[in-house]
Amino acid sequence: MERSHGAPTRGEARAPEVTPDTEPVTPPPVAGPGLLEGLEEGVVVCDRLGVVRAANPAARDLLPGLRVGEVVDVARCEVLARAVRDGGPDGFETVVEHPAGERHLRGRRGPTLDPNPPPPQPQDGDTTWYLRDVTGEHARADTLLAAQERAAFLAEAGRALHGVLHLDRTARRVVALAVPRLAARATLVVRHDDTVTWAAAELGGGRPRVGRLGATDLARVPALAAALAGECAGSPWLAEELAGLTGLEPATGPVRACPVPITGVVDALVLLTDPRSADGETSDDPLTTAEEDLLSSYVARAGTALAAAALHEEQAHLGAVLQESLAAPRLPSTPGIAWGAAYRPARETMRVGGDFYEVVGGRTEDAPAAFLLGDVCGKGIEAAVLSGRVRQSWHALRLLEDRPGRLLTLLNTALLDAVATRDESPRFATMVLGDARPTGDGSVALRLATGGHPPPLILRADGEVEPVAVSGMLVGGIREARFGEAEVVLAPGDTCLLYSDGVVEARGPGDFFGEERLAAVLPRCAGAPAPVLCEQLEQTVVAWLDGHDHDDVAMLAIQAPSSRSVA
Amino acid sequence: MTTASPPSTDPGALRAAYLERLADADEPGAVAVALDALDAGADPETVLLDVVAGAQREIGDLWASGEWTVVQEHVATHISERVVAAVARRAPARPPAGLGTVAVACLDGEWHGLPARLLAEVLARHGWSVEFLGASVPAAQLASHVHRVGPDVVAISSSLPSRLPAARRMVEACRATGTPVLAGGAAFGEDGRWARAVGADGWAPDARAAAAMLAADPDGPWFADRTDEDATPGSSADRSAREEQAVLHARRGELVHLAAASARTGIEETPEDLADDLGHLVDFLAAAVFVDDPSLFDGFVRWVGTVSIPEGLRTDEVAPALDALAAALADSPRTVRLLRDARSALGIGGGPSTPAG
Repeated sequence: MERSHGAPTRGEARAPEVTPDTEPVTPPPVAGPGLLEGLEEGVVVCDRLGVVRAANPAARDLLPGLRVGEVVDVARCEVLARAVRDGGPDGFETVVEHPAGERHLRGRRGPTLDPNPPPPQPQDGDTTWYLRDVTGEHARADTLLAAQERAAFLAEAGRALHGVLHLDRTARRVVALAVPRLAARATLVVRHDDTVTWAAAELGGGRPRVGRLGATDLARVPALAAALAGECAGSPWLAEELAGLTGLEPATGPVRACPVPITGVVDALVLLTDPRSADGETSDDPLTTAEEDLLSSYVARAGTALAAAALHEEQAHLGAVLQESLAAPRLPSTPGIAWGAAYRPARETMRVGGDFYEVVGGRTEDAPAAFLLGDVCGKGIEAAVLSGRVRQSWHALRLLEDRPGRLLTLLNTALLDAVATRDESPRFATMVLGDARPTGDGSVALRLATGGHPPPLILRADGEVEPVAVSGMLVGGIREARFGEAEVVLAPGDTCLLYSDGVVEARGPGDFFGEERLAAVLPRCAGAPAPVLCEQLEQTVVAWLDGHDHDDVAMLAIQAPSSRSVA
Repeated sequence: MTTASPPSTDPGALRAAYLERLADADEPGAVAVALDALDAGADPETVLLDVVAGAQREIGDLWASGEWTVVQEHVATHISERVVAAVARRAPARPPAGLGTVAVACLDGEWHGLPARLLAEVLARHGWSVEFLGASVPAAQLASHVHRVGPDVVAISSSLPSRLPAARRMVEACRATGTPVLAGGAAFGEDGRWARAVGADGWAPDARAAAAMLAADPDGPWFADRTDEDATPGSSADRSAREEQAVLHARRGELVHLAAASARTGIEETPEDLADDLGHLVDFLAAAVFVDDPSLFDGFVRWVGTVSIPEGLRTDEVAPALDALAAALADSPRTVRLLRDARSALGIGGGPSTPAG
């Protein structure tokens, strides 16, 4: 039993002739414990005074300075020496010098050895230490942490970039993400059509700066232009040219150009100053490779986001121009007449729809003002485009024909002719049009004609509501269509309300808003200026809808101002 | 056309003169008060905020006390909008100083556009380029604007806490693009606490404060202790709050009907004013559930009885209305808790009450 524990060491084990500095209480044993030989963990046994009494090969491998029979200090592992001597920590981690490079060492105190059984000739108070090389563990943990950090960075980049559809803002985010993770300073140059956008972020430099230039400015910076086009990104002139282009301080330090992968929409280039991974450094080091992968993933994400933003910007601009031309017009200021209007398209993000109104003030003092309110079938941009056609035709035709009934007949013909020139299915419209002439005594004389549209309502100053008895056939349906005409005089304070069927067909929880409710709500607005009346009605209708979808809603109020208010 | 008093620059006197013109629905007179004050050397910001906005606040009180009708209030607001435009023409803001762009929008369902309009005017005077999107802006419209124009900051305004769920949608639309949101107006609570609850990056009590905050820090967040977690929806508490709020929204019409039947017995059709008040009650309840703050609902319950609307909810009708709602919403624990708390705070009777009669 005892022998098996205290097996002799191999021949090369240190003999006791190496005299220790201190006097050992007992002669050092010749051999280490045999059982410990095969342990991967290093085991060191020291006596009370810190003399190494035994050390297995693993321990000697980890601490080449370790000598059996000498004080543990010669192993040059300070924390171990302290732990042995002072009864210090029961476990530790430290870094030790080793011929093969630094080693991470984790130690823990073993049991204090009992004199029975040996190994080796145990003495009262002997301690045992197990030592293990955790360098690999550390390296794996470091690699894992670094990989997690890279994944987190890319996830953050994805999150930050995917929600943005505005080019400048995307550009700002691209550079902000790069600092300080990828470099001390990042500059982005994006070319989209005729515009060059740049953005720059700097460590401690606050909010990223953004600027725009014409594509012609690129002629001044040939190296940058070449890099942007994906040719030769390694020119030494890049930093200087970039400073010239952006007006920013030229970068000091190495610059690395990273062109984004071809997107087909934008050309873009990220320039990193003092980059974490240097250019062209071909290395087998997995860390370097991983950093390179990170950089190219980041650049690819930036490219996708920039392309998406540029495309969206292009489309949004197109839409905005179209919307602007089709949006509800401003109301003129007409002496003796007060106008009010409300407009709420079915697709509220679009601001345009199939309902429309137009008002043109008289060119001279006593010339009548002309107005039009209508509804083409359909919703959204298609309907808006058709409404544009109707409105333009009205603008032109009303110059030639001022009698409302005749004008409506001309519009009917124009619509039918326009449809006939294209492969379009018939497009109908309903509308009320007419003119308004102040009579000089505060009243306003209206002439109206209608085709297929809900009849206008007159709200008298005293709150009485009466529909104008006029009706007619759809506009754009058949050539022989007949349209009704009417004349109305508005006394001061009276209002004529034209509205589209989106008002009465507004469907709340349960029921349509309906003509009766409209007529019941109106008296409350008696005496209110025309714009307030329309605003009130719009609110009432939207409240009725209670968040439900609705058709286009349009209203136009024509008012003979009461003596107090002035148009 | 002319004001009776000589031009003065004292805000208090101006406000009184201005309010008098509004009470008379006298647009030219009101415009004259403002422009004369400018000509006499008054600061445009003072005219906008202390005279116009100040008078509008007083009008709100006049309406709440039943002295003014809704239409009178609307006419006055309409005149004030004209006055703001006239002031902007007479004393235009200097061109933008390159500080950046702010988009100013009212919450969806907030029709009082004037405070936001005034904020837009004030910010323009502080060197910002301002896009005013108007009253009641749908979240989708704000989102498409933010994507298209890319403002540096979005300022949202509302006076009605019942619009807070809409605020959350708008804040989320902006945050997806990384645009900071500054909230303003009474909707967000006296100290702006509900601005935090809906995920906004800051809150300003009024236009002057907003201008000062943006001048000090154009990027936000302005809440000092704001973390990104605050703005990240998805906690289970947050989800259940949203679900209960959605239930209230979906059943709004039915709940109003039930509450009306309990609150006022023996009526054939619910008077419109009563339905309006009960609709507000449900909206405030939904908002309180949404931001998880009983004080939001309690505040409204205390207030609703004090407003003099002819056919509106009367003080003695509040308790039966709350009981009816609690009975109908038994599946929504948060909502029921809020209703019970508000009910016991009323201090009238206890337990299920017999309908008031």
